[in-house]
Amino acid sequence: MSAHHNHQDQDVLIEKLGYDDHFHEHHEGDKYQMNFLTKYIFSMDHKIIARQFLFTGIFWAIIGSAMSIIFRLQLGFPDASIAWLKPLLGKWITINDAGMGSLEPEFYYALVTMHGTIIVFFVLTAGLSGTFSNLLIPLQLGARDMASPFLNMLSYWFFFLSSVVMFYSLFLSTGPFSGGWTGYPPLSALPQASIGSGAGMTLWLVSLALFVVSVLLGGMNYITTVLNLRTKGMSLWRMPLTIWAFLVTAILGLLSFPVLFSGFLLLIFDRSMGTSFYLSDIFVNGMALDRIGGSPILYQHIFWFLGHPEVYIIILPAMGIVSEVLSVHARKPIFGYRAMVYSILAIAFLSFIVWAHHMFMAGVNPFISNFFVIFTLIIAVPSAVKVFNWISTLYGGNLRMNTPMLFCIGFVSMFISGGLTGIFLGNSAIDIQQHDTYFVVAHFHIVMGVAAFFGMFAGVYNWFPKMFGRFMNDTLGKIHFWCTMISAYAVFGPMHFLGMAGVPRRYYRFDNFEAFSGFDVMNQFITIAAIFGFMAQLVFVVNFFWSMYKGRKVTEQNPWGSNSLEWTTPIDAGHGNWPGKIPTVQRWAYDYGKDGIEYTQQHVPLREGEEHSSH
Amino acid sequence: MSHLSYEESKKVVLRGLIILGIITLIEVFVALLGKGYIIHDFHLQKWLMYLLMISMSLYKAYFIVYYFMHMKYEVPGLVKSVLLPTLLLVWAVIAFFSEGKTWHDWRAKKNDRPIGIFENPPASHSESAGNTPHHSQEHNTQQPEDAKKELSPEEHPAEKH
Amino acid sequence: MSAEHTAQISHQHNEGGSWNGASEPFKASYGKLMMWYFLLSDAFTFSAFLIAYGTLRFAMPTWPVPDFVFSALPGGIHHMPLIFVTIMTFVLIASSVTMVRAVQEGHRDNKKGVVFWMVLTIVGGLGFLSCQAWEWTTLIGEEKMSIVRNPFGTHTENGTYLEGDGHDIKAGDSFKAHSSYLIHFHDGQFHPLKYKTEAGEEKTQKMGPKAFGALFFFITGFHGFHVFSGVVFLIIIALNVASGLYAKRNNHYEMVEKIGLYWHFVDLVWVFVFLVFYLL
Repeated sequence: MSAHHNHQDQDVLIEKLGYDDHFHEHHEGDKYQMNFLTKYIFSMDHKIIARQFLFTGIFWAIIGSAMSIIFRLQLGFPDASIAWLKPLLGKWITINDAGMGSLEPEFYYALVTMHGTIIVFFVLTAGLSGTFSNLLIPLQLGARDMASPFLNMLSYWFFFLSSVVMFYSLFLSTGPFSGGWTGYPPLSALPQASIGSGAGMTLWLVSLALFVVSVLLGGMNYITTVLNLRTKGMSLWRMPLTIWAFLVTAILGLLSFPVLFSGFLLLIFDRSMGTSFYLSDIFVNGMALDRIGGSPILYQHIFWFLGHPEVYIIILPAMGIVSEVLSVHARKPIFGYRAMVYSILAIAFLSFIVWAHHMFMAGVNPFISNFFVIFTLIIAVPSAVKVFNWISTLYGGNLRMNTPMLFCIGFVSMFISGGLTGIFLGNSAIDIQQHDTYFVVAHFHIVMGVAAFFGMFAGVYNWFPKMFGRFMNDTLGKIHFWCTMISAYAVFGPMHFLGMAGVPRRYYRFDNFEAFSGFDVMNQFITIAAIFGFMAQLVFVVNFFWSMYKGRKVTEQNPWGSNSLEWTTPIDAGHGNWPGKIPTVQRWAYDYGKDGIEYTQQHVPLREGEEHSSH
Repeated sequence: MSHLSYEESKKVVLRGLIILGIITLIEVFVALLGKGYIIHDFHLQKWLMYLLMISMSLYKAYFIVYYFMHMKYEVPGLVKSVLLPTLLLVWAVIAFFSEGKTWHDWRAKKNDRPIGIFENPPASHSESAGNTPHHSQEHNTQQPEDAKKELSPEEHPAEKH
Repeated sequence: MSAEHTAQISHQHNEGGSWNGASEPFKASYGKLMMWYFLLSDAFTFSAFLIAYGTLRFAMPTWPVPDFVFSALPGGIHHMPLIFVTIMTFVLIASSVTMVRAVQEGHRDNKKGVVFWMVLTIVGGLGFLSCQAWEWTTLIGEEKMSIVRNPFGTHTENGTYLEGDGHDIKAGDSFKAHSSYLIHFHDGQFHPLKYKTEAGEEKTQKMGPKAFGALFFFITGFHGFHVFSGVVFLIIIALNVASGLYAKRNNHYEMVEKIGLYWHFVDLVWVFVFLVFYLL
């Protein structure tokens, strides 16, 4: 018996069992698409907004990773001339009499800061959660659009404004903010503290305040859509894991970003009104400042009260995407669906009570640190549940080793490698040694940088046909995967050794320190691997844009043989997603290989004698 | 939405006005009574005052959310989804406040003096530090001389000495 | 808007449990839910401020006694601790009550009633803002308190004053630890008093922790900004009600209900601001 339905069968099924919400009779759904401006620019269609988030995310990803290459050149080859970058970086490169061009130390810090800010907020928060929440929440739930398409549009445009402000700050004559992506005072609170602390920091704050507004508008929308606009039959326990992940991500953002916003407002007052919320006992150039009574650690607490949930805002959508894509391409139901959901919820809860593990060495009371250590280590439990479930899903599956699948497996690998070092760092006793070394850099790049990127790539390769009606080139995709995988481990693997040896992060160069001078070759190796990895991403960019116009066309509605509802829409779905009725949901999202049938879509009713899968 | 008739809900409103007003009055009364304004030289224990006032405020908050904002008549799921997340703040309050206390204790310890508002530093103290090189450790004893020049006398910070 | 239609129509398709899709499991429209979740996030914003306040207060050796700081009344009346702020609180509670009435009239589709009670609410909101404006003016203008200067403090030891300030304190007056308003401002300048502790040491008063002024103006200002924006929205919505816009939507003035939620939230925040700044 073939499980494949052609268009006709599907449409008949939706026509027969779907319900009619008279959406297209109102002519309101289509009024958004009157002209180019309302259809593609100020669009209220979630599918277009998803693409807007994706494009902006890719733009920032290129800039953010290019910055890392420049400062990696400095770290790997501090004595090589980079005069050839002068046309791009201008006065940030000084050329001495011998014609040797070197990076200004201040600009090195600006690059590191901007790399962090851009990748964490603009790429992995907006680019990842913004893209896929927008694309998948209405499609997979069987909704016509978001609860409030207008606020959804505003969400993107606030992000866009925030991007413009941050981009503008890159071109200031004093450079962008250079005090680290966390923006700790006093560097962020005193405009005279460093060259980037003036106008650069002001724009940084404005940009991120706008970004918080964007996240909140998006988050409220995602939550209410998931709660209120599910199609008939789509109970919570039938939702794909992607939706669960996006829902919990939105809740995390809704609760943690306001706290960051508060912290920023206090910081703005410290900067421009002369208050001392975060300042005390400061001496600049030997002069005591009239700033008494605050504490920079207060800012750190507030920042990390956002900052730690932010880590899960980044990784949870990737986990959701991987769970879904892994199951589709392994042709097996996801193992332990409910355990997956509960572990997402447990991680979300724990993420709010562990923030001070980022600050063990900042002067936090060791007594209270003990609690943070315990809570932190408990996170390993739900994380391990997820890892075991992914591996069990793969076990005995009928794997399609295409690009999305490879990235899913890569994600699991990265999550394990990076997660294990997290257990090291979560112990305050070990953290005393490893804090602020390359060990930390290696840890968080693998577990939330590379892993989240892998989730994002898996999502892009998997849903590209839905977004653009064409496939991405699989060969180029595989080249992209293997080069990225190898270079990621080549870059971040050796960093563990640097960190173990005590090499501190954020240093401009190491050759002045006898203890670290033995690592020249390792640093060079890392830099070369990073350049290699960067080149691999260019393969992706080329593949992406080439495939948009020249890729293999999608000819059937459900090219992957996937169960979720987004593949019941027409290949080029218009506003309202379904041309006629909305499909109703008859079963959970993971009926793969049930009763010998390869897959059964969610809107297909139970066959005679069939029972609901227990999950 | 309302499960009450119009007349009943009007009563709830009146009751709300009276309850909130009276509780506010009691709060102010406790604050003033506890500090000896009302009966001369009569003071309440601090913890008792705090306990009373915090619990009365929490009751006011409960009343506003449950009756004015209609939470009482919402579906349990909505109530939980809005109220449960605020429990995350409990640990935040504990951790932040204990941190504040720690800063206080450590500052007092570093200054190695009883906690409180102090006189200007004894002259000998800053003079003895005058010849030592500028190490960050020394700043606290050494720099107020510079600081004083910057500040008007009455703005001289209490914590420095 | 299209989604509104979807939500409404889908409501009719509700079969089985309310969580099974095509229904509103919380029996609330998307707009009301979004308002709730916005308020939840705003609650976290305010909580962060108040927690920062608590943390800094815990970090200070002394903190001003509120009944010394907030003891003035309009008309040059002094030494009436907390009376003015109690009046402010009543004004805000009363405006909350009128808001509830407006929402109730909305449920009965009584347009005139809605407008009437909303206008009263707006008056209450403006009254609160005026009170706050007077309070700030007094603190800044007369007491010389600002975000960078705090003339208030407390004694940490018991003792007696060695000199008087020309107003209420006479030489020889005694004071208790953790009470008393320290710096007295009169005749255009600060007048720090000399005092003697019980241990016999002679000392001069010092300014209180700066964080007090900064936090007070910041947090009450942020709350006041919420009140202000609430008044603006109330005016816009009241005008829309009067013009009959919401009557056409036929949803029992849901917009009034939503702004009502916001308005009560402002009152809710004031409960805690009142607690931590004026009572504790």
